[in-house]
Amino acid sequence: MSATAQQIDYNAMSDEDFRKQAREFFENEYPDELRFMPRRLSWEESKPWWLTLSKKGWLAPNWPVANGGMGLDPAKLIIYWEETERAGIGRMPDQGVTMVGPTLIRFGNDEQRAKYLPKILSGDNVWCQGYSEPNAGSDLASLRTEAVLEGDHYVINGSKIWTSMAHNATNIYVLVRTDKAVKQQRGISFLLVDMKTPGITLRTIKNIAGGEEFCQVFFDNVRTHKDNLVGKPNEGWTIAKGLLTYERLNIGSPRRPLQAFEQLDPLARELGLFNDQGFVDRYTQLKMDLNDLGSLYQRYVDKVRNGEALGPDISMLKVFAMDTYQRLAELLLEAGAEYGALADEITLGGKKIDLMTPFYTSRPGTIYGGSNEIQRNILSKYVLQLPN
Amino acid sequence: MSHADLSEHRMMLANSVADFARGVDLKRVRRLSESKAECDRKLWSQMAELGWLGVLVPEDYGGMGLKLADMAIVAQGLARVLLPEPLTAAAVLAARVISDGSNEALKSKLLEGLVSGDMLPALAWQEAAGTLDTGNVSAQATPFEGGFRVNGTKKFVIGASHADGYIVSADSARGMQLLWVPKNTAGATIGFDMLADGRQAGTLNLKDVTVSKDNVLNSGAAATNSVACALDHAAAIASAELTGIMGRSLEITLDYLKTRVQFGKAIGSFQALQHRAVDLYIQQELSGAVLNDVLTVLDEEPDAKTRSAAASRAKARCTDAALLITRQSIQMHGAIGFTEDCDVGLYVKRAMTLAAWLGNGTAHRRRYAKTEILEGAAV
Ligand SMILES: Cc1cc2nc3c(=O)[nH]c(=O)nc-3n(C[C@H](O)[C@H](O)[C@H](O)COP(=O)(O)OP(=O)(O)OC[C@H]3O[C@@H](n4cnc5c(N)ncnc54)[C@H](O)[C@@H]3O)c2cc1C
Repeated sequence: MSATAQQIDYNAMSDEDFRKQAREFFENEYPDELRFMPRRLSWEESKPWWLTLSKKGWLAPNWPVANGGMGLDPAKLIIYWEETERAGIGRMPDQGVTMVGPTLIRFGNDEQRAKYLPKILSGDNVWCQGYSEPNAGSDLASLRTEAVLEGDHYVINGSKIWTSMAHNATNIYVLVRTDKAVKQQRGISFLLVDMKTPGITLRTIKNIAGGEEFCQVFFDNVRTHKDNLVGKPNEGWTIAKGLLTYERLNIGSPRRPLQAFEQLDPLARELGLFNDQGFVDRYTQLKMDLNDLGSLYQRYVDKVRNGEALGPDISMLKVFAMDTYQRLAELLLEAGAEYGALADEITLGGKKIDLMTPFYTSRPGTIYGGSNEIQRNILSKYVLQLPN
Repeated sequence: MSHADLSEHRMMLANSVADFARGVDLKRVRRLSESKAECDRKLWSQMAELGWLGVLVPEDYGGMGLKLADMAIVAQGLARVLLPEPLTAAAVLAARVISDGSNEALKSKLLEGLVSGDMLPALAWQEAAGTLDTGNVSAQATPFEGGFRVNGTKKFVIGASHADGYIVSADSARGMQLLWVPKNTAGATIGFDMLADGRQAGTLNLKDVTVSKDNVLNSGAAATNSVACALDHAAAIASAELTGIMGRSLEITLDYLKTRVQFGKAIGSFQALQHRAVDLYIQQELSGAVLNDVLTVLDEEPDAKTRSAAASRAKARCTDAALLITRQSIQMHGAIGFTEDCDVGLYVKRAMTLAAWLGNGTAHRRRYAKTEILEGAAV
């Protein structure tokens, strides 16, 4: 963190000046070979950019200045995001910045903030999210990984699964059961754990594309000091839920489907598909769906910009975004005909076209972060208020 | 359009429209196919008094000189109660070409008549089904000393049954002419086809109709451009009507899901129906978001290409969403939804007629493809 960066009051700048500064920085400093990637970046790929951002004090735009963030107000934050999207900046293993930081800032104590936040900024700590369990997915509140307080330590037993990038992470935040006698949601706590703690073992799980994307994390009498409890005991559910709407806005951005759409154009041109009315009709439908997704997304962005709270209706953004993304990925494969069955990148007319990655990236989008079925349940219950 | 987005005057406009709509009885639309009274001139005068016929008419001509975003509020609110009066046809489609007219005397006469409600004009631009090409016209205007003699046939004229006259587009050696043909002019005959919702689509036959110079509203490129612009603006406001229709239809259906009991529970507790209702709701919200963006674009008076692309976005999305929502409204009501007595049927039928008018979803996507996709792609 540079001290000078922290002294700049970005919110006092005009929107135009701030946008200009962000644009220049992202255009000049971000590695070109990592622009507009159709997938998330690994930690190894991300690290140089992480450190560049950190040095400039630009890694955590959403954190307060006092914590080493940029302290951007909503309007400036939106500009920051818009410019990262414009520059095609990839998604890093950013759980520390997007989830842990905001959680500690809102629910943690000073010691926790002092201990953990600087290490996120410096890239020394890489966090992963330990929520899901083999028997607690959509019904997360039924989770059974247990933590029992023994003296000054919580002793954790159980296992987490689908933990993205756990094999790259130094730390994990976990939801654990600390009270079995009360209503499920009331007996869950939020704990921070060092991945090197004795008793933790990992099993990496390959995804359908053969990539090592996630892990099962086993906890066998893992001891973490009670100072690593965030908030009060049994407050974990409230803490976890408070962070979800922000995630849904992120997932609902048209950026990734738009990037995938870029692949469709050269493919269609090479294969002469723009002469095929059947294809043109589907292409146009998708293009217009993407624009319409942009309109819906913008509505929520404007709300954030105006400082309005986001309600449960934000779930519709995730449903439509992921649905559109998948339909696009499917059209890409169908348009490719036999090429659409090839495992690797293809070269057509001198251009490299990646047909398969959008399929593999979009497919789990309707599963993680609350499946599309669960989002529909939320909309039905809290927005349409249909009966149980 | 969420209420939070509305500035204060738009809020007031929305409230006065809602007040008016509360007094509207659906009985009238239900009997439209028999009564054929789709424009109640007394009601039309009330709408005129409220200023709604002149929302888009410049203040110098007695109008309010407001924006399409304001007009959309009126259209959406009145569509919720299926008001059959030809508001969009007269106060947007016809109003646009009249306002663009180069014949000042005729323009003031028609605009003042429109705004006061005393004179109902209809734009007769279309000849073939399934086209959005306003410039390609077969009707011929042959010049003679005192003006033009016109021959041709115009179809699908909405608001024709009560119109006091027609603005006809015709081709001539001097380019397109927009001609004012008052009702009962010799050689002009009008026939009607009933639309699914009981309203009438007019077919105007012109046989050696004499139009004096005084009744030439506009000519040449200015005429062509104004009809193209009118179509886009009217398509956007028809989209606003479609959002009103889908909104009310979904409301009625959600109420039904909460009250109809089967298997000992409200049917709205069944997840299959819950998820379907959510999907309809998403389409409704998407339509609102798109329409909002489109109105903003149109109100900035962009170039013709941008304008048409924007209008097509709105009409394609709102048409498809309204058809989906109203048809599913029948499904979720069961047999009662298929009866004449149930209101949802009225919403389905209005959605169908508005969907087909000024280009359906397919027509607008194809037009969008032509200018926004195919021209850029080296085909
Ligand atoms: C790529 C990827 C990365 C992930 N990363 C992480 C991570 O980092 N950390 C983490 O904690 N978790 C992670 N997850 C896990 C994710 O949160 C869960 O997969 C998700 O919550 C769903 O749980 P499940 O897989 O057990 O499916 P289940 O809950 O068993 O669901 C199976 C199917 O049933 C449906 N279903 C379930 N309940 C209902 C209901 N009430 N009504 C209708 N349908 C229902 C679901 O929608 C789904 O289609 C990740 C998942 C993926 C795919």
